[in-house]
Amino acid sequence: MEVPISTAELLTTDGVPLKQSLKKAERKNKIRAFLLVFPLLLFIIVTFVMPIGDMLLRSVDDTQINTVFPNTFSEFKKWDKEKDELPPEEVYKALFEELAYGDKIQVGRALTRMNYSKSGWKSLIKNTSRAIKKAVKKNEFPDSYKDFLITANDKWADPTYWYAMGQMVNFQTPIYYYNAIDMTYDQDQNVIRQEENRRVYVQTWIKTLKVSVYVTFFCLVLGFPVAHLLANLPLRYSNLLMIFVLLPFWTSLLVRTTAWIVMLQQQGVINGILVWLGILNDDGRLSMVYNETGTLIAMTQILLPFMILPLYSVMRVIPKSHMRAAQNLGAKPATAFWKVYLPQTIPGMSAGGLLVFVLAIGYFITPELVGGKDGKLIGSWIAYHLKTTLNWGLCAALGAILLGVMLVFYWLYNKIVGIDNIKLG
Amino acid sequence: MSKLLKVFLIASFAVASFSAKAVTVASWGGAYTESQQKAYADTYTDPSSIQFENYNGGLGEVRAQVESGSVTWDLVDALPGDAITGCDEGLFEDITTEIAELSTPGPDGESMLEDMENNGLEYHSGWDCCVPQIFWTYVVFYDPDAFPGDKPSSMADFFDVEKFPGKRGIHTWATGIVEKAMVADGVKPSAVPTVLRDQTGALDRAFAKLDTIKDHIVFWSSGAKPLELVKSGEVVMSIAYNGRVGAANLAEGENFEYIWEGQVLDQEYLCLVAGAPNRDAAIDFMMHASTPEAQAEQAKYITYGPMRASGIPIIQAGEPWGPGGVDIMPHMPNTPERLKVSIVSDPQWWSDNGAEINERYSAWMGN
Repeated sequence: MEVPISTAELLTTDGVPLKQSLKKAERKNKIRAFLLVFPLLLFIIVTFVMPIGDMLLRSVDDTQINTVFPNTFSEFKKWDKEKDELPPEEVYKALFEELAYGDKIQVGRALTRMNYSKSGWKSLIKNTSRAIKKAVKKNEFPDSYKDFLITANDKWADPTYWYAMGQMVNFQTPIYYYNAIDMTYDQDQNVIRQEENRRVYVQTWIKTLKVSVYVTFFCLVLGFPVAHLLANLPLRYSNLLMIFVLLPFWTSLLVRTTAWIVMLQQQGVINGILVWLGILNDDGRLSMVYNETGTLIAMTQILLPFMILPLYSVMRVIPKSHMRAAQNLGAKPATAFWKVYLPQTIPGMSAGGLLVFVLAIGYFITPELVGGKDGKLIGSWIAYHLKTTLNWGLCAALGAILLGVMLVFYWLYNKIVGIDNIKLG
Repeated sequence: MSKLLKVFLIASFAVASFSAKAVTVASWGGAYTESQQKAYADTYTDPSSIQFENYNGGLGEVRAQVESGSVTWDLVDALPGDAITGCDEGLFEDITTEIAELSTPGPDGESMLEDMENNGLEYHSGWDCCVPQIFWTYVVFYDPDAFPGDKPSSMADFFDVEKFPGKRGIHTWATGIVEKAMVADGVKPSAVPTVLRDQTGALDRAFAKLDTIKDHIVFWSSGAKPLELVKSGEVVMSIAYNGRVGAANLAEGENFEYIWEGQVLDQEYLCLVAGAPNRDAAIDFMMHASTPEAQAEQAKYITYGPMRASGIPIIQAGEPWGPGGVDIMPHMPNTPERLKVSIVSDPQWWSDNGAEINERYSAWMGN
């Protein structure tokens, strides 16, 4: 017997189609869910997306100076360097006027920027401004602005300053990225390498990567057995041992760093004991600090908990029966470990490795304190330019490259291990 | 709402608005800020209205505060290079007229700026926004016990590892070292800034001199380090901030000796942040902190010399001026005879060339 199927819409008791009513209820839930997440979303946008976006913008932005010297720059672009050694009169005139009538503070900010392209701009412009303002006050306008400026300061007859101006005449510029890898522009805006005695960034990048990779490796080698021990001891012992891992973790970074200096220096504890035991003679004390060794030792110890904790939480849930079963089936202990246990710890190793690497690559306080002449990692340079030279464009470019390096590593990691394989416990 | 809660809320608002009135001074912390607290704040009409906060130098935070429009610092204790840049960029407020009208003149009626010029200083644009504090110096010191025979006494000795074997402590940035290397290379201390500024190749000369001791250097980056290095015997002599050495000698019973020749005097300023929340009160405090008396007072607590020339006679007349009845002038960097062998660092030149020289110096360290 056939059951008649109603083709009419299902209605709720108050006569509204069920579909619509459901949708309405659903929409309420959706809005509620969104509202619940909204503060978090807003938080992420404000504290994460916007600053990073702002940083990326700053790394290519050269607007400020272009609003201070618009006429000078547009006249400058007309200068034919082949034909004339120095820029034409119009450029000098535009500069004269823009310095004479420009806002003092805006010019001041532009000076800081100009000095990045060539040292000496700051006092050159300041001295020249003084001369110009004096002339304007007396209403004495020169016949030749070129001669006036060159009389005010003979550096205006030095074409290298004018060549350096070429670096800033556009609103957007890649120059900060070039500077961050020891490159610069020559007089015709061709990219060339920085003068030899100023090349610091490439070697710093290499050093930073090297230190981060080494530290990650040492943390893994040292952290693995500790985590394994912690995961396999009875709880009361492992809790005690855990305190030994966590106590330094909670101790101030500076205290730990200083403690390492006391241990490692040439007149320090370790050298003292070795000399006392007769293993070293007094002239042959090892230098273990104020060099790269010191950096590696101190950073490894400081970052070790970030390796141990994720490893531990992963290892704790690996059933002990797996190893027993493997050995029961005839595997030697080493084979069982290699084939059965180790693969299961990969999520922990990945999480720990990534954490340590990310932290290490941006480290700068500890390396500066224990690293001596080798202690300047890329983080130090970012801090230096952020605070001292105020070259925020270069800071942003260095930061963006750092971000890029991280993304490359992340991508590689995803290709090799797979990102869903990561686990913190 | 319970009555108690209401009272509490009102009280806390009252406290909040009260504490917001305090003038916030960002300074370097440690013994230095303590000496400022005692010499400037405690002698001020209302000591509780001055609050010190620590910072690590540089203009990064100031620029961030000014750019974002939420300024929380009123005054910043700044190095001369930062004073110049900050004033040029408008991060510090130009108070030329306030300084001219309100600052305390010296005993012979000389204005504050003239008083500073009497101390060997030259005008730079930092003077428009800031008032003077103290002279501090990069000086070489050593433990006399490390040299049983001849003791080093000149920059040439510091750079002579044959005559005085052992490691040297040097900081990881270029300020101060470049000048010292020039002195060791035979330039008269007072002529060093001019030579550096006007002679091509002067920097190459300084770096060539540095090369001669490169393998005998322990680099330090924080001010407490050189004292540890010398005390532990890790180095036989080191460059340091003179105030740290003075404190070790005066308060910790150490017996360090200085090599005053080739010391590099640097300046320190108190600057008004643009848009400071308590501008007028801050200016009033600036004027108090820059009187010759206040500057001399600070020498009681730290061995940094007053930047106003008229501060020194006050100390000399008041000896023993130091803690525990000690004469302080022997520890001061800017006595007339020491000034003859000193270099007064040129902040404008460093502000022009500092970034480039520091890159070069780092490249030199790393290779």
